[in-house]
Amino acid sequence: MSFEPKILGIACNWCTYTGADLAGTTRLQYPQNLRVVRVMCSSRINPSFIFRAFQLGADGVLVGGCHPGDCHYNTGNLYARRRLAVTKKILDFSGMEPGRFRVEWISASEGNKFAEVVTEFTQQIKNLGPQTKFKIVT
Amino acid sequence: MATSFKQIEENLKNEARKLLEDGRVSLVLAYSRGYDENHPVPFVAKITADVENIVFNEYCTANLARYLVRYPRGTKMAIAVKPADSRAVVQLIQEEKIKREDVLLLGIPVIGMKNSKTGEVIDSKTTCGLYNPVLYDVLLGEEIHGQPVVSPYDVLAEYEAMDQDARFAFWQKEFDKCIRCYACRKACPMCYCDPCFIDQNKPKWGEKSPESSGNLMYHLTRFHHLAGRCIDCGECSRACPVDIPLYLFHKKVAKECEEMFGQAAGKSIQDKPVLVNFRVDDSDKILE
Repeated sequence: MSFEPKILGIACNWCTYTGADLAGTTRLQYPQNLRVVRVMCSSRINPSFIFRAFQLGADGVLVGGCHPGDCHYNTGNLYARRRLAVTKKILDFSGMEPGRFRVEWISASEGNKFAEVVTEFTQQIKNLGPQTKFKIVT
Repeated sequence: MATSFKQIEENLKNEARKLLEDGRVSLVLAYSRGYDENHPVPFVAKITADVENIVFNEYCTANLARYLVRYPRGTKMAIAVKPADSRAVVQLIQEEKIKREDVLLLGIPVIGMKNSKTGEVIDSKTTCGLYNPVLYDVLLGEEIHGQPVVSPYDVLAEYEAMDQDARFAFWQKEFDKCIRCYACRKACPMCYCDPCFIDQNKPKWGEKSPESSGNLMYHLTRFHHLAGRCIDCGECSRACPVDIPLYLFHKKVAKECEEMFGQAAGKSIQDKPVLVNFRVDDSDKILE
């Protein structure tokens, strides 16, 4: 059986989640490996969510937010950009493969981009194989 | 030539006595003798008679800025600061935990501090490598000229060159030693959250017993919480009973923050901590 990764998607309510909706209503095909969690803003994301997701068995984490400057709350994603950049560096230095965590800016009108990003990211995780480093072995 | 520790101790006592007598401060944070000369403990002098107990020697490594946030706002405090401690005070002022006018800094230029655990001189690679405090009201010794030869981040090169798997194995080995005594958290001047995220039950972020997954969660999140705030005193690694080189990870995060946002922690009271600040023209490249 081929490896089907579990990917956590954390999507901002105003852009990426609406973009995902658009991808759905326009009947775009993308892999079902993504489990989307909706948050009100990308700056709502506590970096511990990402560490915890990896511990609980996620093979990849995709964070989606509004394009910088388009945030519904004006500046939320600008804070998130700095914070998630640090998260990425920490994951990298702790020895996690850099390709397992990704941040993308996807607006509400970019259903195509959403489908493309998910397809591409799923393929990337499939190539990397199962994530075993952080995963809690019971 | 640096002022001797004996001389600094004398100056510190005189200054503390003067401040307490004038009533300019209600307490002075300094060190006193522990169970022997080599293990000084943090000490709070509240009356003039307390001043006699103050000591300062090469083993006084503890970062006293840790105790500033314990007192109610508006308490006038004097604090003995070594170079890294002064950065911690600056950082606390940036974070509005204390006010500049409430705190009086008695700066101490130091060279050749020793680790009370091993008795060896502390390698300047494991700390921020400064000789003089960045902010002070009174300097208790002569300013030391020159800079340590090493850049504070040089020590990282070896670990950055490792491949991912080797680095993960290295950190797993180190984190698995952790006994979760939280000495790192207690020693850190920036760890003032109450309750700490790891002590919370709802949500429960990680296991509280010492085992791999909880240790990883605790340390990684702690590194994240100190991103752009760690002032690189190295006290966490010295406090650690099992010698986890925590300073390495803190240095790495500090280096990345400095490279990405162009600002090191605790250098100027006008700055804002990097993660509660942003620039519209931050590059998206930092996310790659």
